[in-house]
Amino acid sequence: MSVVVADHLSKWYGQVIGLNDVSVEVPPGITGLLGPNGAGKSTFMKLITGQLKPSKGSIQVLGEPIWKNPSLFFRIGFCPEQDAFYDRMTGLEWVTALVRLNGVGEAEANAMGRRALEIVELTDAANKKIGAYSKGMRQRVKMAQALAHDPDLLILDEPLSGMDPIMRRKSIRLIREWGRAGKSIIVSSHILHEIESMTPSILLINQGRILAEGNVHQIRDLIDEHPHTVYIKADQTRTLAREFLAYDDVLSLKFEEDAVVVQTGRPDAFYARLTDLAASGSAGAIHEVTSPDDNLQAVFQYLVKP
Amino acid sequence: MSAQPRSRPPAPTVLSSAMRVFDLSLGQMLWSRRSVFLGILLGGPVVLAVILRVVAELYRAPLQINGAMAAGPTIFGMMIWLLYIRFIVPVLGVFYGTALIADEVDDKTITYLFTRPIPRSAVLLGKYFAYLACTALLTAPSVVIVFFLVVPIAGGSIGAGFPSLVKDLGMLVVGLAAYGAVFALVGTRLKRPLVAGLVFAFGWEPAVLLFPGYLKRLTVAYYLQALVTHEMPQDSAVSLLLQVFREVPGTFASLVYLGVIIGSTLWLAGRAVEEREYVLEQ
Repeated sequence: MSVVVADHLSKWYGQVIGLNDVSVEVPPGITGLLGPNGAGKSTFMKLITGQLKPSKGSIQVLGEPIWKNPSLFFRIGFCPEQDAFYDRMTGLEWVTALVRLNGVGEAEANAMGRRALEIVELTDAANKKIGAYSKGMRQRVKMAQALAHDPDLLILDEPLSGMDPIMRRKSIRLIREWGRAGKSIIVSSHILHEIESMTPSILLINQGRILAEGNVHQIRDLIDEHPHTVYIKADQTRTLAREFLAYDDVLSLKFEEDAVVVQTGRPDAFYARLTDLAASGSAGAIHEVTSPDDNLQAVFQYLVKP
Repeated sequence: MSAQPRSRPPAPTVLSSAMRVFDLSLGQMLWSRRSVFLGILLGGPVVLAVILRVVAELYRAPLQINGAMAAGPTIFGMMIWLLYIRFIVPVLGVFYGTALIADEVDDKTITYLFTRPIPRSAVLLGKYFAYLACTALLTAPSVVIVFFLVVPIAGGSIGAGFPSLVKDLGMLVVGLAAYGAVFALVGTRLKRPLVAGLVFAFGWEPAVLLFPGYLKRLTVAYYLQALVTHEMPQDSAVSLLLQVFREVPGTFASLVYLGVIIGSTLWLAGRAVEEREYVLEQ
């Protein structure tokens, strides 16, 4: 049974098309939704989480229509893209309060919140105000609220954005473990290498249409032909830069405020070395790793070229 | 695979869900920037009451309003009507009521509430209860302080006036509930709810209340007037104006009408939230 079934699904925002006549079945397991900014990923995510109503066509999640069907959220956990919180609450208070909306009592919700924070390794920061969290911690607390009630289907919108390399690796491992444990997961990203490390099954979306669905390896060679840009926020950017210059796949390098921006021809190798570097601590603390979506945009332009 | 249906807990009721949203929202509301504004607004009558009391103590002469002698309970009654009911309560209703859902949308936190197994109308209702608790909790101390400062002026008795204080507090809560519900509807239905709310509270209501006829029945203030217990000055221009204001239905009928206004506007606002798509700016 497919977890999501879209049938000639379209969504318009006035004159603007967000999603255009999409028919797709998302199988159980982990599925990556890959596309550049403005491709329709967010619209698709909002439609499968019942935040938007289809303009045309239909969408079913776990065998039921999702629009105006809140009880389906007993079985769905959603981690949205936006970095928005009740900043005055602690992580534990926030997750507990949201789990209570599932009809769970205070004590049980608290226990579920603690367990979820433990899974995303935020136990030590559970009683800190979210306003004092780093970007990576905020990403993790969002994941905690999504998984706290043990849903069948997890929908994660850009979940690794802003995480440091070590937490990125741990989060990828977690997502794979959930997949192995029988959960279905739909995870969106504009970074192929992230998706590839979680699942070979992808939906490629651009300009409101599903361009391709299936195995990620078929397009990865195309991706690797294009330089990949990585933004790294760290304490010791010069030390990092010195390390990077020793790699032959690093094509260019520039400094920004508290960050270094690298272009690499072999992203897989670069990310692997970066994670090792972060784990060793030899180049100081690495706080944030992001990749602008113009990497993927270039690939999509190449893919849709007549 | 997990897509097979799993036994699902019973869906929480609208009321139980609303109470959980209330728990989540009350603290946020109490510590919001809007509450600072509310504190300043509610400090105004207290400052005025201090000035009146100081003047009364210094000059030891009864205060006059438009030439009429005014004892403490009368001044307190006028402050309740003119400052609280006709100004502060509608202002609170407009600023909080129109923002019940809009704040969550602006802060982009609405997603967390709309992706839980609760009806969307419960989100509105829970936030409405939080607004009511927050504004009532902050308004009551201001009214009580004003009561103790103003009522003793010119020999007024605190003991004798105490039952009317309780009624005034009740009336303020009813007023907050009614204006909050009306402006919650405005906030969920209109594109520029703040402007529409201010026009309703400070344009439409004062204007139609001055004229005889049926239009005044389309205001909240018309029904709230029936709940005012205080005697007003009788021999001044103000008293004449207030006599016009006093053309009101009975207390019971007013309470019923206000109940209908609160219930119907909240229901319509809930329907609007259920149907509407909220597109968050990225």
